[in-house]
Amino acid sequence: MRRDRFSAAHPAVSFLFFVGAILLSGLIQHPAYVLAGMLCSGLYYCLLNGRKSWKRIFWLFLLFLLLSLGNPLLNHQGNTALGHIFGNPYTLESLLYGASLAGVLVSVLLWAGCYNTVMTSDKFTMLFGNLVPALSLLLVMVLRLIPGYFRKMRQITGSRESIGKGSRTDTYAHRLTEGATVLSAMTSWALESGVTTADSMRGRGYGTARRTDFQHRGLRSWDWALLLFELILLLGVATTMARGGTAAVFTPEANYAPMTGWNVPGFAAYVLFLLLPSVLTVQEMIQWQISRSRI
Amino acid sequence: MANIQIENLTFTYPGRERPALKGVSLSIRQGEYVALCGRSGSGKTTLLRHLKPVLAPHGKASGTVTLDGTDIGDLPQRDQAARIGYVMQNPDDQIVTDKVWHELAFGLESLGCPQKTMRARVAEMACYFGIQDWFHRDVAELSGGQKQLLNLASVMAMQPEILILDEPTSQLDPIAASDFLNTVRKINLELGTTVLISEHRLEEILPAADRAVVMEQGELVADAAPRDIGRILFEQNHPMFAAMPASVRTFFAVGGVGECPLTVREGRQWLESAIPEPVRVPELPGKVTFTGEEPAALTIREAWFRYEKDTPDILRGVDVSIPEGSFFAIVGGNGAGKSTLLKSVCGICRPYRGKISVFGKNVEKYKNGSLFDHCLAMLPQDPKCLFVGKTLRADLEEMTKDPEKIAQAAELCQVTHLLDSHPYDLSGGEQQRGALAKVLLTEPKLLLLDEPTKGIDSFFKDKLAGVLAQLRFRGVTIVMVSHDVEFCAKYADLVGMFFDGQMLTTDTPRSFFGGNSFYTTTANRMSRHRFRNAVTAEDVAELFQKNQEEKA
Repeated sequence: MRRDRFSAAHPAVSFLFFVGAILLSGLIQHPAYVLAGMLCSGLYYCLLNGRKSWKRIFWLFLLFLLLSLGNPLLNHQGNTALGHIFGNPYTLESLLYGASLAGVLVSVLLWAGCYNTVMTSDKFTMLFGNLVPALSLLLVMVLRLIPGYFRKMRQITGSRESIGKGSRTDTYAHRLTEGATVLSAMTSWALESGVTTADSMRGRGYGTARRTDFQHRGLRSWDWALLLFELILLLGVATTMARGGTAAVFTPEANYAPMTGWNVPGFAAYVLFLLLPSVLTVQEMIQWQISRSRI
Repeated sequence: MANIQIENLTFTYPGRERPALKGVSLSIRQGEYVALCGRSGSGKTTLLRHLKPVLAPHGKASGTVTLDGTDIGDLPQRDQAARIGYVMQNPDDQIVTDKVWHELAFGLESLGCPQKTMRARVAEMACYFGIQDWFHRDVAELSGGQKQLLNLASVMAMQPEILILDEPTSQLDPIAASDFLNTVRKINLELGTTVLISEHRLEEILPAADRAVVMEQGELVADAAPRDIGRILFEQNHPMFAAMPASVRTFFAVGGVGECPLTVREGRQWLESAIPEPVRVPELPGKVTFTGEEPAALTIREAWFRYEKDTPDILRGVDVSIPEGSFFAIVGGNGAGKSTLLKSVCGICRPYRGKISVFGKNVEKYKNGSLFDHCLAMLPQDPKCLFVGKTLRADLEEMTKDPEKIAQAAELCQVTHLLDSHPYDLSGGEQQRGALAKVLLTEPKLLLLDEPTKGIDSFFKDKLAGVLAQLRFRGVTIVMVSHDVEFCAKYADLVGMFFDGQMLTTDTPRSFFGGNSFYTTTANRMSRHRFRNAVTAEDVAELFQKNQEEKA
């Protein structure tokens, strides 16, 4: 498990960040913002996942190209024609619009990837466990069950294959009935194991008292500081949005809110917000280098 | 203090005539280690569940169960949960949460234990059980043995006075089982927790137990010290005698008198004094069963396999040839790749190098499922994976519409009386045979079995062995992967050792186990200083008697 300063902070800090980052990346189509979103999410994703991340980033980049270049083939609006394909105009505005949408998609996907690494299930439970204890336990159980179901399904299909039943058979109708059979077998198994799990829960006193929480800890001053910082930056971006500082229109003519006056600090707040986890991580890396070199 | 007093407990499941428990009276003192034995279906689980009221089955009950003089049903829920710990059979299904630490804390969280106390208790439990290294792991990454140890630890975190274990090791391999039972023993010795355990592996728990209690059809038929229980069962000619440790069985089979040996060490000492050196008849005649000249049912040449591109190889050049008509057992440690080998024969895993031939024909050349048509079939490790119907009959009908064939298969596997039950209502041994019946309906000539004796008691093992013998008689070649060295030694023709992704040695059970000193049966370990190739209790008894005759 990675434990940089951002991941190690109270889950509320990470959660607020990801909610903010994903929402804002999804809502704002202004090219400057989109570009900043892609770069910052890409940076943090690489910091989190190291060498493994290149493959994913490469595929997302391909997706980005495909969507941006493909959009003008379907959407012919816009005034500036770059040329004609299949008798339809290939317009600059449509290309920009496609790029912006693709950028939004890529950053949201990257943030979601980071979220998965940082916000482990136990953090989520710790955050919401106190609000809705029953719900959070349910969530933890579901998180445990889903991979279990997939494992069991592979086992069942494998077992059936080895007595000559199953997916190797050809026709579509046959596969459908086979799928239904496996599903019904899964249901029996799930019910059966559910009974045991319920017994095990009751056996350990589930429902006999108000649940307490093993992991929950309060916010420390550092967490408060980070939360406050995040909130101020979010507020800044939100004000800019409300004032129209992030507006972008693509067709018939590309028209973005200018980067002047109050829009500049708004954009700066956005970039600063998105860079927060990367900065904390890098800062800690540097600190490690320094303290190691002192040894 | 934790005195359990069971008085005249009778219990009948709804809709049944025969009571599942009949007038059971038992008292267990604080700190005692009691082993509960009995065939599956004898009422062990029903009895154990009555000691934990939240788990007690519904039905008609009479009699009392008291804990320190208080009726157990009158205990507040919290006390019940905390004072009586209960560990069940299936390691997987008992786990509630997705993280190890959370699972350890689950019971204390439920009881509303303050965070500070809870953390301290979880920490000490984690250290005591050696869990601290995998404290933050996902539960799904653990092995079966680790999972069961986690279940035990998370029950112990509530600091119960009584620990009830219902066949806790039936799903584990022998090494994990041994670890687990040692931990239970340690808890009993070091913490003074009362332990009540039901188990098939009497070999391991009898020496640790203070008392053994035997159940039969819902009644207690014997309650004695472990050393005396063998004699009682032997005198009653009780079927449970077959489950006794090899030393006990040998001792009584040759009419031993006096103190009966319980462990391998005691067995060795007993043989040492009973059979003086030089030993007149040191070995049994070796059976030459297969010469290697026979046509092969299954040949594997240089098979290499790994699951992912960048994971280690599981099969590392497997080379083996299994003669037609033989019963071939593959033994080896956990995770050695034995199951993967069977899967690769079935084509569930495809080796990236090497060749697998079934009856002389490359498996790749069997097209459109012809491999599984009157040719090859595999019984998976978990027989439940094969059940898809509402009744066992429906399941068998999935394979063939011919009622005569179904009747024959059911007859052969001795499940005719169970055809109308739901497969999940059967006991482990019955499920195993039900699944076998289903597999046999493909009329295989080569049958692969993956751990068929897992979780079934000695009585059902004998039944299974009977079914397999019948199949052999019909010319079916059987390849079995197993941890159960006793079963392999007793019934297989050839035993192969699988290690590090390769098939190392292949030999008859007598030479194979006779030549090993660690990886062998308890009967062999007990007798190897006197007899050269006795691998089962029967072998030891036979040689013992031969030597006595020679002397006389």
